[in-house]
Formats: sequence, structure tokens, C-alpha cells
Amino acid sequence: MKSQKDIAKEIRRKAIKKNWQLFRRSKLGMIGLYIVIFFLFLTILQPILFITGVWNKGVYDPVVGYSEQFQEFLVVECPKEYPTDKYDERSDCPGRTEVNIRTLFYSDAEVGETIIQNLQPAPPSRKHILGTDSLGRDVFSQIMEGSQVAFVLGLLSATLGVGISTILGTIAAFFGGRIDSYLMRQSDLILMLPTLPLLFIISAFAELKIWHLAVVLGTIGGLGGSVITIKSQALQVKVKPFVDSARITGGSRMNILFSHVLPNVAPLALLFMVFSVTGAIASESVLSFLGLLNIDMSWGLMIYLAQVEGFIFSGMKFWWLILPAGLSVTFLTGGFYLVGRGLDEVFNPRLRDR
Amino acid sequence: MYKYIFKRVYQLIIVFFLFLITSYVLFDSIPGNAFQNLLLNPDLPPEAYEQVIKLYGLDKPLSERVFLYVQNFLQGDFGYSYKHYPKTPIELISQRLPRTLMLFAMVNIIAFYTGFLIGKILAWRRGSKSETWITVTSVFSYTIFYPWFALMMLWFFGYKLDWLPIGKFLYPEKWYDAPFDSDVVFVSMIQFTAIVSIIQILVYIYTRNIESLSMRRNARFGSFIIITLASLFYWNTGELLIQKPYAMDIAYHMILPIFTVTVVAFAGTALLTRTTMMEVMKDDFILTARAKGLSQKRIRDRHAARNALLPVVTSFIFTIVTIIDGSVLTETIFSWPGMGQLILQSVLEEDIPVAMASFSFIGIFALVAHFIADISYAYLDPRIRIQSQG
Repeated sequence: MKSQKDIAKEIRRKAIKKNWQLFRRSKLGMIGLYIVIFFLFLTILQPILFITGVWNKGVYDPVVGYSEQFQEFLVVECPKEYPTDKYDERSDCPGRTEVNIRTLFYSDAEVGETIIQNLQPAPPSRKHILGTDSLGRDVFSQIMEGSQVAFVLGLLSATLGVGISTILGTIAAFFGGRIDSYLMRQSDLILMLPTLPLLFIISAFAELKIWHLAVVLGTIGGLGGSVITIKSQALQVKVKPFVDSARITGGSRMNILFSHVLPNVAPLALLFMVFSVTGAIASESVLSFLGLLNIDMSWGLMIYLAQVEGFIFSGMKFWWLILPAGLSVTFLTGGFYLVGRGLDEVFNPRLRDR
Repeated sequence: MYKYIFKRVYQLIIVFFLFLITSYVLFDSIPGNAFQNLLLNPDLPPEAYEQVIKLYGLDKPLSERVFLYVQNFLQGDFGYSYKHYPKTPIELISQRLPRTLMLFAMVNIIAFYTGFLIGKILAWRRGSKSETWITVTSVFSYTIFYPWFALMMLWFFGYKLDWLPIGKFLYPEKWYDAPFDSDVVFVSMIQFTAIVSIIQILVYIYTRNIESLSMRRNARFGSFIIITLASLFYWNTGELLIQKPYAMDIAYHMILPIFTVTVVAFAGTALLTRTTMMEVMKDDFILTARAKGLSQKRIRDRHAARNALLPVVTSFIFTIVTIIDGSVLTETIFSWPGMGQLILQSVLEEDIPVAMASFSFIGIFALVAHFIADISYAYLDPRIRIQSQG
């Protein structure tokens, strides 16, 4: 004899299985899922490497680590006019294993001698898969730290924002009247404030760490436009016959709200959550890129440092400082976006292939 | 219905005043004020600072200042800029706004057109291998880390290839003995662009009803050639002949920002078109059209794409609202002196009158757009009209 609870559990399990099969059929969603899993793997890998002792914390720490890289350099004097027969452009001198005599302040070496000097930023080697930055910190470790920041911030702010907007949107649709118009005007007010200048102002009077930023982004996102969209979805659910029949059979308002309306809004909310992870990661990177956050290490900060130290206009000579961070932001946000598209094809019956 | 509109307008006004008060309080909560650098000047006595503060009324309590600001706002008085003293915020905005609008109007038109075209084809080829890869590529160009991408483009086209200038609005050395202001030239450029785009739209509307697809394409192509020849003639007559080299200089500086933003922006339209068109293609009338034996191309262009256009146009209207907000990053990276830079500078320098004026400008823009969207939704969907009296 099966109890009612068991039957409900089995129905739920079957539904999850069916949705998973639908999701697997969409190629875009699967590509996105693989990308997200890859970055999740990077996130978990770093603490494991530190705990097991494969990586020494003094060398590989993303913020305070330092790695000595000595190399022999040939002292040369860069010509005043280009092109010469050795160099084509001004940016070619000094080359990889050369040092300009004008930049040697503490050594009395002559032109043509070789000296041993610390090489930072060092190119990728077996010890450092993605090289080191100008302070001798491991770039690969920084990428891992950045993905931790991105996951924590993205998931936290998305959960907070979607939680707020789902509850408020459903309440607005369900109760209507004064509450509805108050909530709608509130989201109008939030939507009117331009986001980026608003974040500038907030960063001016509040110290923004990851947690604070997640709360701020989540609140702005949760009170803004998504309330309106979720409300319109909830309005469509509210006029469906099963809500009426629940009311006729004597369900209380709270019961109808929580067990009939909310579960039908939840798929859209999940979709919103995936898309707002994209937005949160992008905003964090933009703010760190502008140097407005108080975060030790993130992808945006890596690009900010590369730009401030002038490596971004040195072209592909220092590619390991420029490409990994930018591509990581692009791929992780793109991965979440693709997962969202895949979920959209699962939940929206009009989008299904067959 | 009229009662609903009246109620909405009434709420709109309240929201706008709340918005004004909120932004004033936000600006005020930034530590320090616009004149604190006077304290760093050792030649000035400390009284000078207090005098300046008193002159601008910054010594009054916050509530009084907010009240005064709202009062003056109603009389159409936006005060004077703190940093560019004799200029008013309206003067500054009217100088900066055309530059931003010109740049982003062109970006949006190009992005909308290419995005719609690509999205249409993607939805039509659903399930094929090329569709998946093009979609994935456009997702990544949509979510690309924008400041990084813009810097890479600057490096590649501006520095490595040296084809295009690195940022800025014009080359100052070309304008030393120019007989006119850069704004004069820019205004005539805007006039020209507006005339050309209106003619182009008219041509599209008139050729829309030509039945044969190849005839229609030929007519559009012919009109495009005529417009190009006419514009060449237009720029080679009268006063515009003198302005031409200067206009060319500005246009040369516009290429890279337009290209960069378009690459990022077109993907959004393409993805939206793909989704809406996939929904439309499930409808019965597509099946009917197939059963009637219409050609595939005709079904795609006339039946499916036409119906998928509506949500895309709606989202297009909403992107116009976010132009100024989105221009902050672009204009900072490309040093394009437009609204975005004005807002950023005024926020960072705490030039409250300018910041308030530009914020309220954006606010009015956004409110009106949302109002129109709300009214049209309520008008189109009777269920919402009856259920939400809000």
C-alpha cells in the first residue's frame, strides 16, 4: 500500500527525469552545461591542490604568492629610429631575452654582456601553466580564485534577486489593488535609475566586498524589471481554471498562493535566475575593471591590472595576462546563458522541437 | 480605459517626484562635495571655502535643499553647473546628447537589421549543425566581457593595424583653422543621416507590397544606389563642400565604436528573433501556408518573420531607453564626449545640478516608455485590463 507522499514523490521524480531528457535533447543547453561544469571543476580544484600540498601556498597563492623565475638577459641598447635590420618596430625592442640598458638602474653592465635577472611576468612554463603576472603570482591560480568569486557572487545575487522578485511578483498578481500598484511603481522607480552610475554612487559611500555587492545587485535586480515579468506570468496562471476550482473547493488564499500559483511561476523564476547569474558576473567584472570594488582577486581585477600596467596595448607579447581572464568571463556568462536557453526550451512548450 | 490612463498618469507624477528626491539624497550621500579641492589650495584662506559653500547653498540642511531643488525643477530652473560654472546643465546636455544619440542610433539600426536577418535564418534552420554553431557564437558575442573586447578592438585596429584612430571625437590638429564649431558640422551630419534614413524607410514601406520577391529586391537596390548618388551630390554643393573634410574626420572617428558596439548588440536581437520565430512556426497558419503550396522563402519571410517582428520591435523600443545608461562604458573606453561621460564625470565630481538634470532626463525617457508599454498591454489583453486595476 503506497501512501500519498510516496506517490507524490514518484510523480516528482518522473517529472524531473522527463525534463532532464528534454533538456538533453537541446544541444545549446548541453554545451552551456559542460562549460559551467568545467568552471565548477576549476573552482573546486584550487582548494584541493592547496590541501593536498601539491601546490605550495607561498608560491601559488593568487594574492600574496610569489614565484622566483630567473633568466639570462642580453643587455642591448635600443636604437632611436626604426626600422633597423634587427628590429622592425619600437615594440620589438627589447626582445624576449634582452634588456634595454636604459632601464637598468642598479647594475653597471655594458652593452653585449649577459646578466641574470628576475623574469616577471614570466611566460607559461611547466611550473606555471598560464605564466605569472608582473608581481610573480600564478595566473592559473588567479583564474581559479576568480571563478570562485564569480560562482559565489553570481549564484548568491541571483538567488536573492529571484527570491525577492518571485514573491513580490506573485503577491502583486494575486492580491492586486493597492499592493499591486505600489509594487509596480516601486519597480518603475528602480528601473528609472541608471544601473552603472548608481553602482558608482554606492561604491563611493559603501565599501563593496563580494557579499555586499551580491546583496546590492540582488536587491536591485529583484526589485526591478523581473517583478513585472513574473507578475504577468502569475496573472496568466491566476485566471486558469484550476485556481478557480481550488477556490471553490475551499482552499485558503495562502494555500492557493503557495501550492497552486507559485509552483507554476517557478519555472520562469528558475529561468530568470540563470539569466541573472550572467548579469551579476558581468557587473562584478565591469566594476572591478573600473577599480571600484574591494576584492582581492577576480577576473575583472586581472584585466584592470593588465590595463593599468600597460600590458593590454603591448599586444600578444603578454597574451597570458590578457586572454585568460577576458575569455573566462565571456565563457562562463555565455555558459549560463546557454543553460538558460536550454531550460527555456524545456519549460516553454511552444519552443519544443517535436 | 480613460480612468485607468488617468490613474496611471497620476501615479507616474508621484513616482517621478520620488525619483527626484531619491537621486538627490543618493548624490548627497557621497562623502565630500564638489568644492573640497579648494581646501587643498594653500593660497586661499579657509573662509573662501565657506563663502563658496554658502554661495551655492550647500550649507543648508538636506531637506531644505531637496525641497528647493524640486521647487526650482517645477519652474524649469535646473541651476548652474558647479564645475563648468557659467553653463547650465541644459546647455551641457544639449551639446552632449546629439553625439550619444547619433552613435547609438546608428548602432541600434544596424544591429537590429542584421540581428533580425540572422535570427530569422537561424530559426528556419533549426536543428542543423550550422545553426547550433552560429547560435553559440552569437551567444558568446552577446555575453563577451565588453570593456575587454573594446580594448582588444582598439589595440587591433588602432594600434596594430593602425587603420582607425584610438578613441576621441576628432583630431584637434585638423580643426585649428576650421571656420566653424565641431557642433555645427555634427548637426549637419545628423540632418543628413536623418533625411537618408527617412527616405530609406519610405522606400521600404512603399516596396513592401510588391508581390514578386526579386522585383522587390531590385527596386530596393535601385533606390539604394540613387540615394548614394544623391548624397554624394548633396555633400558637394554649397557650404557643405567646406564642411566635408571636417565631417569626414568625425565620421572616421565613429567607425570603430559603431563596429564594436554592433558586434555586441546584434546578437541580442538575433537570439530574441530566433526564439520568437520558433514559437511562431508552431502556429497553425504556417501549416496552412505549407499546405497551400507556398514557397519556403515566402513562408519564412512573409508569414513567420512578419509575425515574429512584434516582440522584437517592442524590445527594440526598450533598448532605446537603456542607450544612455549603456553609453557610460563605451564612451569612457573610446573617449567619446557624450552623455555617458557627462554623467560619469558629474557623478564622480559631485556636480549635483548636472547629474540631477541628466538623471531626470533619463528618468522621464524611461517613464514615458514604460507608460506606453503598460497602456498597450492593458489595451491588448482584456484579462489584464479587468484584473489589474492598479
